[in-house]
Amino acid sequence: MNLKKYLVRALHRLQKGPGYTYKELLVWYCDNTNTHGPKRIIKEGPKKKLIWFFLTLLFASLVFWQWGILINTYLSYNVTSSLSIGFKTMKFPAVTICNANPFKYSEVKPLLKELDRLIEAALERILQPTPGNSTENMSLPLDLELWNQIPLVLIDEHDKDNPIILDIFETNQTAVDNETATDSRANVSKKKYKLAVKLCSHQGSENCTYRNFSSAAQAVTEWYILQSTSILSKVPLHERIRMGYQAEDMILACLYGAEPCNYKNFTQIYHPDHGNCYIFNWGMDEEALNSSNPGAEFGLKLILDISQQDYIPYLSSAAGARLMLHQQKSFPFLKDQGIYAMAGTETSIGVLVDELERMGYPYSDCTVNGSDVPVKNLYSQYNTSYSIQACLRSCFQNHMVEICGCGHYMFPLPEGVNYCNNEDNPGWAYCYSSLRSSIKQRQICIDSCKETCNDTQYKMTISMADWPSEASEDWIFHILSYERDMSTNVTLDRNGIIKLNIYFQEYNYRTISESAATTIVWLLSSLGGQFGFWMGGSVLCLIEFGEIIIDSLWITVINVISWCKGLKQRRARARYPDAPPTVSELVEAHTNLGFQQEPVGAVPGAPALPPEPGTPPPNYDSLRVQPLDTLGPDSDAD
Amino acid sequence: AATAPGKKITARLKRTLPVRGPQAPTLSELMRWYCLNTNTHGCRRIVVSRGRLRRLLWIALTLSAVGLILWQCAELLMNYYSASVSVTVQFQKLPFPAVTICNINPYKYSAMKEYLYELDKETKKALETFYGFSEGKSKVRRSVDDWNSTGSDFFEQIPLLKVEDFSRTATELHSGQKRKIEGSVFHKDSSIVNSGDSNDIIGFQLCDANNSSDCALYTFSSGVNAIQEWYKLHYMNIMAQIPLEIKEKLSYSAEDLLLTCFFDGLSCDKRHFTRFHHPLHGNCYTFNSGESGTILSTSTGGSEYGLQVVLYIDEADYNPFLVTSTGAKIMVHDQNEYPFIEDIGTEIETAAATSIGMHFTQSRKLSKPYSDCTETGADIPVDNLYNKSYSLQICLHSCFQKAMVESCGCAQYAQPLPAGAEYCNYKKNPNWMYCYYRLHEKFVKEQLGCQQICKDACSFKEWALTTSIAQWPSVVSEDWMLRVLSWDKGQKLNKKLNKTDLANLMVFYKDLNERFISENPANTLVILLSNFGGQLGLWMSCSVVCVIEIVEVFFIDSLSIVLRHQWQRAKKWWSGRQQGRAAQASDVERQGHENPACIDEDLPTFTTALRLPLPQDSPLPRTPPPNYSTLRLETAFTEQLPDTLELGQH
Repeated sequence: MNLKKYLVRALHRLQKGPGYTYKELLVWYCDNTNTHGPKRIIKEGPKKKLIWFFLTLLFASLVFWQWGILINTYLSYNVTSSLSIGFKTMKFPAVTICNANPFKYSEVKPLLKELDRLIEAALERILQPTPGNSTENMSLPLDLELWNQIPLVLIDEHDKDNPIILDIFETNQTAVDNETATDSRANVSKKKYKLAVKLCSHQGSENCTYRNFSSAAQAVTEWYILQSTSILSKVPLHERIRMGYQAEDMILACLYGAEPCNYKNFTQIYHPDHGNCYIFNWGMDEEALNSSNPGAEFGLKLILDISQQDYIPYLSSAAGARLMLHQQKSFPFLKDQGIYAMAGTETSIGVLVDELERMGYPYSDCTVNGSDVPVKNLYSQYNTSYSIQACLRSCFQNHMVEICGCGHYMFPLPEGVNYCNNEDNPGWAYCYSSLRSSIKQRQICIDSCKETCNDTQYKMTISMADWPSEASEDWIFHILSYERDMSTNVTLDRNGIIKLNIYFQEYNYRTISESAATTIVWLLSSLGGQFGFWMGGSVLCLIEFGEIIIDSLWITVINVISWCKGLKQRRARARYPDAPPTVSELVEAHTNLGFQQEPVGAVPGAPALPPEPGTPPPNYDSLRVQPLDTLGPDSDAD
Repeated sequence: AATAPGKKITARLKRTLPVRGPQAPTLSELMRWYCLNTNTHGCRRIVVSRGRLRRLLWIALTLSAVGLILWQCAELLMNYYSASVSVTVQFQKLPFPAVTICNINPYKYSAMKEYLYELDKETKKALETFYGFSEGKSKVRRSVDDWNSTGSDFFEQIPLLKVEDFSRTATELHSGQKRKIEGSVFHKDSSIVNSGDSNDIIGFQLCDANNSSDCALYTFSSGVNAIQEWYKLHYMNIMAQIPLEIKEKLSYSAEDLLLTCFFDGLSCDKRHFTRFHHPLHGNCYTFNSGESGTILSTSTGGSEYGLQVVLYIDEADYNPFLVTSTGAKIMVHDQNEYPFIEDIGTEIETAAATSIGMHFTQSRKLSKPYSDCTETGADIPVDNLYNKSYSLQICLHSCFQKAMVESCGCAQYAQPLPAGAEYCNYKKNPNWMYCYYRLHEKFVKEQLGCQQICKDACSFKEWALTTSIAQWPSVVSEDWMLRVLSWDKGQKLNKKLNKTDLANLMVFYKDLNERFISENPANTLVILLSNFGGQLGLWMSCSVVCVIEIVEVFFIDSLSIVLRHQWQRAKKWWSGRQQGRAAQASDVERQGHENPACIDEDLPTFTTALRLPLPQDSPLPRTPPPNYSTLRLETAFTEQLPDTLELGQH
């Protein structure tokens, strides 16, 4: 009871200005609010009142609608891009240089000897199917064990529906006796032979696929890569590094700006595709070099020797240096981003750094350092930063290990796994081949890898000229040979030598950076603008509105209390069907014999309920007089 | 009784919605009322301020605020149609573009012999007469057929000329006779100053067939250009007469051109290529043209997963005068795009592996009113002659062809035929060459209006190419490679392939990052309104409500006041005239309060209303005295006014 009393008192205290009924509250609000519309509803004549009422409603709904749009815009996290182009002192890109051929043929020959003899013999058979070839007889017994692991087959497609598969070595005799074989020369236009690689899940098992090739050259290369991969994967890493090209043999001259440099300025890295690669300005141990001048004079100048005579004939048919410009501390993915430099030429590469700086979550779905990508980055063993290529390759290797049980030679190994080879994993080529062509696997990797937020590309303007010129050829070869081999004999030739110039262009950067299009400040000012535009409102007006809502709640509370009280009274009255006689009634009843109780509300101006004994309901009327008094002239108008 | 309800309703309406005029009888009263009651800041200050200086200051401030608002809002409106650029990068499976490959030489020379015999003979003759060059007899195969050339007289008509510049006479190739040159001289290569010192400039003369005096002489600083240009002119003339089917046969077949094909780690063959006949490059082959309904895509970047082809370029079968370089031309383009390979193709060297790394960028501009570009080309008054989606190049070529058909009556050979037209050839249109050269001159000088009509397309796809070259095949692999490729080619050729007849091409995605550059409207209507609101609110705390107020007060109310004044005056004048006419005698004019019209006109103000008794007959006064608290404030001021005066005296 005490609490209730307290509440009622608090209520009364809070309820000062606005009044005690909804209507009073509303009128008060409209009259005193800072929002522009409502005041006019009160102040105008009845016709305009109606117009203003609808106008205010319309504007209020417009404000809310547009606020909805604005908040929606804000939550879509748009970005604006700004572009800047110019020249500034920038870090010179890391330059990776490899030979297109991974190993010196003279070094790997013992390992690949059998393979080469096999392919040579096979090519003999394929190209000259006529019997009585002398070279066949001369050859030593071939290692058919090696051949049968992954054999090449000829597919005779004269009959489209059931092609005849001819094994090159085993069905040799039948092929020779076959009429078609001998006919093929005469019947030239009907050549339908195709070369295919036979891949079986286990040796001798029936589960085999034939990888068809439209071109024999392609088939031979593919087959050779599969076989040599298997052989080389058994060779330990340091041995493989030894078999590759050494820095001092490959990098003959180096000049960075005006500073001389030599092969020692290059960091060696073993790249599975290209053997030993050398990276200039990788920034792993020392600070990255800056370049503050545009033009070829201030860039990197290199002279390389790729010694084309020492190429593995079947492995790589293109000759040249493979080079790539990339960011410091990133792994060079030469197959993707690398370019060739041709032997016997001078290749000039003007560089423009094309940067894209993006904002991370929630503006775009990119990753800053790859830590939130669910793929284990295998390239982290090189201490390199995350890149999408690294992620995709790691993803592939992880799948390979999972499905085939061994790692592919071209990618780094996860811990505790070995590279695939024919002895330990006879079905690996089949497994790899099916995995590689699986669209599903690729899609999984694409979905799980995220691109980096800062995307840097090196736009290259490549031009070439013949080098050395005929007139200068002699002395240049002489000096370079002397410097490398300390001999007076010329050990270099046009087929091996490459000159490279890598330099910044006049404009060396183009940066597209993102900034948030909608910030919270933008949102607030736009919201304020809308509210102000339609209704002249501000945050204070919202607070006013909130206040009114609280006030009306209070009024409701008061009404409910009084209603409850009324209910109690009615209940009490229901017990005694007639209302308990008041004191005055009793007095009247005593004094006036003709007194009849009047019907309730019949007398105008009389209170609806007779005043009750006990706690009287709050006398609102008396309170209402007060605000009306302050208005003064208004009361006159009434 | 029936009319009663209607009257009742109107009476009720009048009672509930009485028609009232403005709340002030005069304009100054209205202004005063407005200023005191308006929601905008500033105006109230003017009325409320005491002292003239302060009032003036407030007037100036309010006016400057209004000015600022107008200026800023105009600025906002003017910048409404501006665009902001956003760049998004997406890593995804990318559609592989169409790759069109052509041999630089359009037709097999051996097959063309029949058609070009006369022309070649003429060319060789020209070389011999002008430069003393004669080919070894062994190379010139004498074809015995007596192809009665249509051109023999035609060659005579447009011969190569040796021009002696100073005398303006020319030696003709055939007759050797000299003749005077009339008409204008066009120099294709250089200005006349540079070529002035050498006496023998080679060129050719084109004359209007109908009017032989109207001639144009085209000269070139180098005989190489002159002969090539002249040869091309005649070549086009000859080719225009050969039907397309025969031309397709004369050119290279897919088997001829493509030796090996490898895409995305899988083998492919000629079925993946679509033939398309290019007028200048013969048969071209488009990989992944999308004609089969599917467009190939790559989900792995890198050189292994792109397109790898080895092309057979039969160097021995090249036309010696038409093309002087060896190799292939390729172009990377969208499936819907027409390959303008002669304009933007990339050349491929023989005996080399060309690796082309691609980077995909898609751009999108906003069309009107943001920028002047076209979405589909439908709004451009030039018919698209190509069966592909709109591009600026297509528009320019179509526009030129249209002009050509209009003015020369026939179509130019290098572009598709418009409906109802046919290619120019000398037999039917003897005048076409002259016409063509004239028109081309105009086109280059932007006099045809094509450059003005054609707009660029709003969205375009671009593949940025990084081209690098390696030696191929390498010295050690050359032997087996050539042997195996010869086997691939089949024994059709009874010779081993030469490495200068081969070109290796690799086209691949460097990465699968797709850059999407798009323009977005910088402003939307919502933002514009927000900015308006911000400006209005900042300077004057104004809103649309205030604007409506201003409209109401300054236009409707003041206008009605003015009109009422006018009306009263007119009424007075009229009644005065009536009275003057009716009762000339009673010319005593009523004045002031005695005049009912005057009372009607000058509605009682607050003070007068207080003084005057309300009219007894009408329960509702037409305009009640304004009962605003502001008016009460005013009385307060009048009381205080002496104070300010005192202050002023100090």
